[in-house]
Amino acid sequence: MIDPSWISGLGVILFGIGLLGAFTRKNAIIVLMCIEVMLNAANLNFVAGASHYGDVDGWVFTAIAIAIAAAEVAIGLAILLSLYSTQETISLDEASILRN
Amino acid sequence: MGETKNEYRLLLPLLPFLAIVPFLASQPDSNSTDFAWLIVVVPFIMFPIILITGQVYNKNETWKSTWKEGGILGLAALLVSLSTTIWIIYDYLIGNADIEHNDVTSWLEWISFDVLQSDYTIAQNRILGVGVWIDSLTLMLLFVATFLCFLICWFAIGYMTTDPINEDSNHRFFAEFVLFSLGMFGMVLADNFLWLFIFWEVMGLCSYLLIGFYYWKESAAYAAKKAFLTTRVGDVFLMVGLLILYDIYGSLDFAVVFDDPSTGIGGVAVESGELFWALMMLFIGAVGKSAQFPLHVWLPDAMEGPTPVSALIHAATMVNAGLYLVARLMPFVDIHHQGVAGLEDFGLIVAWIGGITAFMAASIAFVQNDIKKVLAYSTMSQLAYIFTGLGSALYFLNTPGEFNHHAGLFVLGASLFHLFNHAMAKGMLFMASGSVIHEIHHAHDHLHHGSDHGDHDFDPQDMRNMGGLASKMPVTSTAMMFGSMSIIGIPLIGGFWSKEGIIAETWAAYFHGETMILGPAILILVTAGMTGFYMSRMWFMTFAGQPKSDVVDHVHETTPWIKEPLFILTLITAIGGFALATLGIVDFLSNESHHLSLHGHSLIEQIQHELEHAFLPEDQKLRMVGWTTILLSFVIGPIMAARIHGGQLKDGQRANIFVGWLVKLSGKFGTQDVTWLAESQLAEALDKRLYFDDLYEGIIARTVIPFAEFSAWFDKNVIDGIIKQIESNSVLGSVQIRKVTTGNARDYILMATVGALCIFALLMGVNI
Repeated sequence: MIDPSWISGLGVILFGIGLLGAFTRKNAIIVLMCIEVMLNAANLNFVAGASHYGDVDGWVFTAIAIAIAAAEVAIGLAILLSLYSTQETISLDEASILRN
Repeated sequence: MGETKNEYRLLLPLLPFLAIVPFLASQPDSNSTDFAWLIVVVPFIMFPIILITGQVYNKNETWKSTWKEGGILGLAALLVSLSTTIWIIYDYLIGNADIEHNDVTSWLEWISFDVLQSDYTIAQNRILGVGVWIDSLTLMLLFVATFLCFLICWFAIGYMTTDPINEDSNHRFFAEFVLFSLGMFGMVLADNFLWLFIFWEVMGLCSYLLIGFYYWKESAAYAAKKAFLTTRVGDVFLMVGLLILYDIYGSLDFAVVFDDPSTGIGGVAVESGELFWALMMLFIGAVGKSAQFPLHVWLPDAMEGPTPVSALIHAATMVNAGLYLVARLMPFVDIHHQGVAGLEDFGLIVAWIGGITAFMAASIAFVQNDIKKVLAYSTMSQLAYIFTGLGSALYFLNTPGEFNHHAGLFVLGASLFHLFNHAMAKGMLFMASGSVIHEIHHAHDHLHHGSDHGDHDFDPQDMRNMGGLASKMPVTSTAMMFGSMSIIGIPLIGGFWSKEGIIAETWAAYFHGETMILGPAILILVTAGMTGFYMSRMWFMTFAGQPKSDVVDHVHETTPWIKEPLFILTLITAIGGFALATLGIVDFLSNESHHLSLHGHSLIEQIQHELEHAFLPEDQKLRMVGWTTILLSFVIGPIMAARIHGGQLKDGQRANIFVGWLVKLSGKFGTQDVTWLAESQLAEALDKRLYFDDLYEGIIARTVIPFAEFSAWFDKNVIDGIIKQIESNSVLGSVQIRKVTTGNARDYILMATVGALCIFALLMGVNI
């Protein structure tokens, strides 16, 4: 059995990678993938906690979070498609019409 | 027109509805009172059915010719109500159910709640129930309402569906008609004041809808608004009265309130001052509904509605609601049965309002030329008689003494009996006038067909276009003659038996020392003669004399469905009053006896007793009053009318034997020219309805309208202004804030992360 602190550490690293990617990349799809990575880092913590305490709640949370993430991705991709069809780009630097 | 097929086959769908009540009655252990809800619920179910089916099948040929655009369905619902009523009345009359012990049936508790009282204690479990309250007053009014609603619906099928102006909108009429009827049934059956008020308002709404049935006519829309708003004034007072009652008794249930009216909530003795104001407020509500002075202005205008609506509002239902309410108040003042003493003034006020209205309405009726308006003013006048009677009953019951108690009960019974007689006669008169208007209208269309319907100024309701119709419309003229006789109070017919009682007992109150009641007593005595004049004038102008326009020659009484109700009501008007008086209905209605019977006498004895009572009362003074009434109403009034408006028919025209004698007689008194009188200031004032409408409009124009304009200004500038200011400020603010945004997604993510970290740090900091 692996010590849960190692798994939490892996979660922190994954979260950091995701956060960094979300800050630095221009491509919206990659930003979306980074967000998924962050989400799964959180899931990893849940699973680690669940197996450590022998409590089923963590797994249930994870299952629900994954389902929600799937729905979120579907919406996100739809937004990106719509963004592309109107702006002909998916670069986040150029999609700044909220400003005006 | 030109209906040759047998219209009565259309009645076949009614048979299953006719069978419902006999089926229920034949079940073992079935109690008619337990089924009283049918009276209200069946029309209530039928109302949306007619409305929706009418919308769906509009313009469908079967729907029109077989179902009469919903008329047959409405008739079916009213048939169930009528037969249930007859079942209940039968049970009570033969003694299966006892008025004394079975007057309340509470079916279910509707709302139950706790009340925070003024001393900050909580009164628990107040209950609003749904039930019926049945006594002789309920039975009589229920019969009047269901019976007349049924007949008027029957009449309306003939009247409405043959009028081209109603094309494809009759389902609306019948649906509203049924709703109106159930409002009346429910109000009469209600076992507490709250339900009474709710159904009262249902009627108010439907009267608005029905008076404004021809809503595209400006005058009809105006009349509907006027009726609604005028009765609303009364209703506000009624509501206040109910609140005071609730404050006194802690309940609005008849069972609680009438159990011991002298003891309020918590065993406190009721103060007559507080109760007086409660009763006055309720009375003002009744004044509005029954079109009495000073809230009478709506009723003549309400004639803008179709004629069946006039019959419904002015005979069967709405105007009787106010009388019913006042009659319901009797236990409060009946000091011989735990009533509250010291309320004589209330009775006197009621009597005065009645006397003034009776006289005023009768005098305005003198100059009306519209046949329906004459009837409208006659309705006001006759209702005022009943109010005067109820007022003397309230007075008598509130004064000590055995004689006063009996006199009070007698005049109460006589007033309610007059309500019955008036409802029957007036329902018939309105239907008969509808028949006249309808046929004149058709004859006019027929005569001027092709020339673009002739002149549009022709008014089929104007009696100056009629005359000599007796030979053309035998059924209608006979019906109208008996109806008018009943209203006038011709001896032995209909209203005579009750009107005599009201006038005599009001005078009796004066003879027993109450000088304040002399005014109403004189007014209603004079009005008896005036009634004789204006009702005769209406009949002679319409049916006797030479035709006054070329339309008359083309009138035929051919529309189906119209004659049957007239025929039935003619019979009831002609002999019903006498028969019921013989059976002791006056004692029955005042709850002195619980059965209609000969009271152990033989028929001849009883008839002799009633005749003696009516014509030769023991008291010399009352005998004087009685014979003066007869002289005024039977001789002077009609003869004056005959001198002015009577006359023989055109040569070659013959009326049937029931009315022929009257037409002949009317030509025998010579003629009198009254042009000088008709052009006088007085006639002008009466024609303008004594300027009451102008006065009210003037007051409204000076008070309500400026206030409304001020309110509109306030709403537009202050209330809307504040909201608009907030709106424009936030628009400006958001424009400013937008300048600091970058619009870049990554910046937002960064801010969110920083924010999350800050929260995280704060939480950790707290924990450490």
